[in-house]
Amino acid sequence: MNHTLTVCPYCGTGCMFYLVSDGGRLVGVEPSVTHPVSRAGLCVKGWNAFAFVHHPDRLTTPLIRRDGELRPASWDEALGLVVERLRDIQGKHGANSIMFASSAKATNEENYLLMKLARGVFGTNNIDHCARLCHSSTVVGLAETFGSGAMTNSIDCIDQAKVILVIGSNTTEQHPLIGSRILKAARSGARLIVADNRRIRLARHADLHLRHRNGSDVALLNGMMQVIIAEGLEDREFIDSRCENYPALAAAVADWTPERAAAVTGLDPEDIVAAARLFATAKTAMIVYSMGITQHSHGVDNVRCCAALAMLTGNLGRPGTGVNPLRGQNNVQGGCDMGALPDVLTGYQKVADPAVREKFARAWGVDGLPEQPGLPLTRAMDAAAEGLLKGMFILGENPILSDPDQGHARRALESLDFLAVQDIFLTETAQLAHVVLPAACFAEKEGTFTNTERRVQRVRKAVEPPGEARADWEIICALAERAGYGGMRYPDPSAVMDEIASLTPIYGGIGYDRLDPHGLQWPCPDRGHPGTPILHVGRFTRGQGRFSPVDYRPPSELPDDDYPFVLTTGRTYFHWHTGTMTRRTHLLDREERRSFVEINPDDAARLGVRERDQVVVTSRRGEVRTQARVTEMVVPGVVFMPFHFAEGAANALTNNVLDPESSIPEFKVCAVRVRRAP
Amino acid sequence: MKYLSPEQLAPFFASLEATHEVRLPILLPDGTRTLGHPSDGPLALQGGPLPGKPTAAFFPHEGGVFTAAAETVSTPPAPEKPLLVAGFTPRDLACLRFIDRFFADGWRDDIYFRRRQGAVIVGASGYCGPGGSLIPCADGECDLELVADCARWLVVPYTNAGEAIVGGLPDAAPDGALERIREESAALADVNEVLILRASELIRADRVPDTFWAEIGDRCIACTGCNLACPTCTCFGVQDWRYAERVERSRMWDSCQLDGFMREASGHNPLGTEALRTRRRIHHKLAADPERWGKISCFVCGRCDTVCPTGIGIFAVARELVERFGSVGGKAGSPCP
Ligand code: SF4
Ligand code: SF4
Ligand code: SF4
Repeated sequence: MNHTLTVCPYCGTGCMFYLVSDGGRLVGVEPSVTHPVSRAGLCVKGWNAFAFVHHPDRLTTPLIRRDGELRPASWDEALGLVVERLRDIQGKHGANSIMFASSAKATNEENYLLMKLARGVFGTNNIDHCARLCHSSTVVGLAETFGSGAMTNSIDCIDQAKVILVIGSNTTEQHPLIGSRILKAARSGARLIVADNRRIRLARHADLHLRHRNGSDVALLNGMMQVIIAEGLEDREFIDSRCENYPALAAAVADWTPERAAAVTGLDPEDIVAAARLFATAKTAMIVYSMGITQHSHGVDNVRCCAALAMLTGNLGRPGTGVNPLRGQNNVQGGCDMGALPDVLTGYQKVADPAVREKFARAWGVDGLPEQPGLPLTRAMDAAAEGLLKGMFILGENPILSDPDQGHARRALESLDFLAVQDIFLTETAQLAHVVLPAACFAEKEGTFTNTERRVQRVRKAVEPPGEARADWEIICALAERAGYGGMRYPDPSAVMDEIASLTPIYGGIGYDRLDPHGLQWPCPDRGHPGTPILHVGRFTRGQGRFSPVDYRPPSELPDDDYPFVLTTGRTYFHWHTGTMTRRTHLLDREERRSFVEINPDDAARLGVRERDQVVVTSRRGEVRTQARVTEMVVPGVVFMPFHFAEGAANALTNNVLDPESSIPEFKVCAVRVRRAP
Repeated sequence: MKYLSPEQLAPFFASLEATHEVRLPILLPDGTRTLGHPSDGPLALQGGPLPGKPTAAFFPHEGGVFTAAAETVSTPPAPEKPLLVAGFTPRDLACLRFIDRFFADGWRDDIYFRRRQGAVIVGASGYCGPGGSLIPCADGECDLELVADCARWLVVPYTNAGEAIVGGLPDAAPDGALERIREESAALADVNEVLILRASELIRADRVPDTFWAEIGDRCIACTGCNLACPTCTCFGVQDWRYAERVERSRMWDSCQLDGFMREASGHNPLGTEALRTRRRIHHKLAADPERWGKISCFVCGRCDTVCPTGIGIFAVARELVERFGSVGGKAGSPCP
C-alpha cells in the first residue's frame, strides 16, 4: 500500500491529497490534514479523483485514422505522422497555418514544453489553451489595472475579510473548498454580498442577495461606485497615493445614480446603495468573482469595474481584501503562467518584445522566435471554419463540447486538413482526429500545477499509465525530437522546471527541491524567496494602480419575441467540464446523469412544463432536447443549462460572439425559446 | 505485564511482518498520519485517532467484488497472511465492534470477513492523544493494547492471539502505572459524549423541528466526507467495468448526503432535499440505530467534525441542537437562556 501526495486534478482551488494505491492500482484518496487549503477535507470530486483512472475506456495505444476509422498504430508511426503532416501544411500554407491548443489540465512543465514546441520548433505563436474560455478577460483586465492578471490575495484571506462580495461565482459548487470557507466566514460574522441572479447556496447565506440581470454587472458596479463617491466613502489616501486616472473614473460613474443602475440591472436602488455602503465601510472587503464576470462580450469591462471598486475603497495589498478571480481548472493559472497564450512567453513576457524573444531564442538554441502574436483559440476555430487554418494539435481539450456554438466548432475541426489530439479518453473531439495520442493522467506522472492563489504544487506519480500511454511531457519531447530539434531532452520534469525558472522571473525561485510539502506562491523571484501570499503590497506590479472606467454595453443577444428567454450556462457541482473524467466516475455520474435545464416555476407553468418533463430548447444556433428542472434557483425569464453533457449539449445553443479585447465568448447570455418536447 | 520502549516499538512491529500483514499509524511527508505498512513511513502511534478510519483496513474506499471472464468468476483473494492492524483508540474499537456485527448480521459480508477474519487488532491508549493528552484505556475489545505511559508503552494482551504475540517481550515490574492510567481514564469526562447522548434524547423526543435540519442542510456542500471518514458508516456503491475480456465489479464507499443515494428509477427521491438527507445522517446514528441495535452508533470519534469543510460534523450539530432545543421546559425553536 502506498500513499502519494499530489494535487487534485479538478478545480483551481488546488487541494492536495494522498492517492492510496495497492498493487499498482488506486484504491482511494485521503485528504492532507496539514494543507493550507484542504485542511483535512475535500469536495466530492476530490474524494473521487482516483475513480476514473483505471476505467476501461482509457486510451492505451496511439490511433491513426485509416479508411475513415481510428485504428491502433505504433508510437513510431503516430509521432512520425503528426510531425510530417504539420510540417507539410506549414510548407504549403505558412508557419501560421497550424495551431497548438494546450491544456489547463496538463502540468506547468507540459504547458511550457508545448509552447516551446509551437514557438521554438514550429515557429508559430499560434498557441493557446482553455483559459481563453474562462479567464482571458481577467488576464487582460487585471494586467491593465494592476499589472498582474492573477488572484491578488490568498484563500486564507477569506478568514480575515469583514465583507465578502461574491459576484458571478457559484463558489460552493465550483470551488467548493473556497465556498465552504466563505460559508464559515459568514457564520463567524463576515458580511456577505452575493451578486448573481441564481439562488445559489451562498446567496441563501448572504446579508444581501442582488439578483441583477444577466450581463448588467457594469451597471451594478458603476452604480455602487457612484454611491461610494457621492457619499464620500472612497479611500482618498489610497487613491491619491497608490492610483492614477481617478478623475476619469469619477467622471464616468457620476451619472450612474442608483436609479439609473437599478433601471438597467432590475434591482431596487436601495439595494445598490446598501451594497455600496456595506462594501465601502468595511475595514477589509474582498471581491471574489468567476465566470459570471468573465464570460461576456464585455468581460474585460466587468473585470475593470471589479478592479476599480477595490481600488476606490483601498481594498488591495492587505490581508482580507483583494480582487480574487477564482481560476477554474486545476492548472489554468499555470497554463497562463507558462505562456500557453498567443501573445506572451512564460511569466507574461511579451512576444512583441525583442529582448524577450532574444533571451528565449538563445536559451532554446534556435535562430529566432516569431514576433507577431498568434491566434487566440476562439479566433483559431473561426479561422479553421473559414479554411484559413489547416492543422491543429490539441492537447487535453474537448472543444466540441466546451466551445460556444457546437455546430461551428464541429465545422471548424472537420474543415482541418489535419487534426491530432492527445488525451486520456477518446473524447468527442478525439473522435474527429486523424491521429490520437494516448496520454497518462494526473495520477500517472510527475509535474506541478499552480492553483488559483498562485501556489505551485507538486503532482506525483502513483501508478503506471495504462498500456502504451505516456506522460504528455514525454510525448511532446518525442515530437520535438522527431521534428529534428535536440533541445528537448530532459531526464525528468524537474529539469524542465529548472529551465522555466531560469527564464521566468516570477518563477525564478521555484524548484522541485523547494516545493515540499505544499508549494510556493509566485512571484518567487529567487531561491531564497519565501513566495508571495498577497500581491500589490505597498505598490502595484505596474507601479500605480490604474482606474479604467467603462460604460455599460448590453450583452450581444438579448431576448425578443422569437427567443424570449435568456440562456445562461455553467457547470454543476458533480461534473467537471465536458465530463470526460467525472462521467466515468460512478458516484459522480450517478448524481447527475443527464443534461437538464433549470426553469422558474412561473415560466414552467405558463409553458405547461412539469418537473422532469422533456423540453426542447432552441436558439438561433441550434436545438437540444433536455430535461426540465423546475426551480426557484433561476428568476423568471432566465433558464440555466450545464455544458457537461454530449447529449443535450448546452453549447449547441450558445453564441460565438467574442469580447473584442480578450476573445472570450459570451457563454453567459444568449436568447432561446423553450417548449415541451412533443 | 509487558512493556516496550519507544525505540523498541518499530522493531517490534517489523518482527511481526513475518507472520502478519502489518498496518499501523505512520507519518506521511506533510505531517498527515495514516494507516500504512511499517516500511511506508515513520511510526506515528502518538497523536490520537487517525484522520482516516482504521476500519478501512477491512473495508477499503474501493475494492474488488468479483471478476467475470469467459467461463470463470473469481473473487479477490484473501490476504496471504492475517492482518495485524494497530492504532485503534477505544472509540475506534467500539466502531469496529459495531460494524463487525453489522457485516455479520443475517447475510454475512464475505468480502469484509475475508480480510477481517483472523486479524489481530492492536489498541492504542494512554498518554498518546493529541499533544500527549490522555486517551482512556480500552480494557479489552482488542487482542492487545499499547498504553502510553510517560517513557514507555505498556503492553496489555487480552486474547490468546495477543498473548502469543507479546510472549517474548520483557516483563514490567508491577509499579501500578496501568492502574493509575485506568483510574485517570475513568475520571475523564467527555463533553462530546454527553452532547451526543443529549442530542439523541432530544431527537427521539421529537424536539427538533424540520426547520433546524433545513438550516443545517443549507450549509452542507455534499462533499460526503462525513460519511467517508465515519467508521460506522458502511454504505457502499457498486460499479461494473467492462474490459475486452472481462467484467470487473467493485464497490466503493457511498454517502447518504448524495441525492443519488436514495433516488428511485422514476427520479422521485424519498430523501430528495438537503434537509432530509442531513436529518437522516444524524438521525440514523442517534435515533434509528438505538432502536435497531439498542445503541447509538456514533462512538464519538470526532472524524466527521474534522473532515467537514463547513463545520457541521455531528458534534457541531449536536451542540447547536442542544443549545437551541435542550433547555428544560424550553420551547422548541427558542435559544438556550
Ligand atoms: S475543491 Fe477543487 S481542488 Fe478541492 S477537492 Fe474539490 S475539486 Fe478538488
Ligand atoms: S463522531 Fe462522526 S465519524 Fe465518529 S462515529 Fe460519530 S458520526 Fe461517525
Ligand atoms: S462533511 Fe459536512 S459538508 Fe461534507 S457532506 Fe458531510 S455534512 Fe455535508
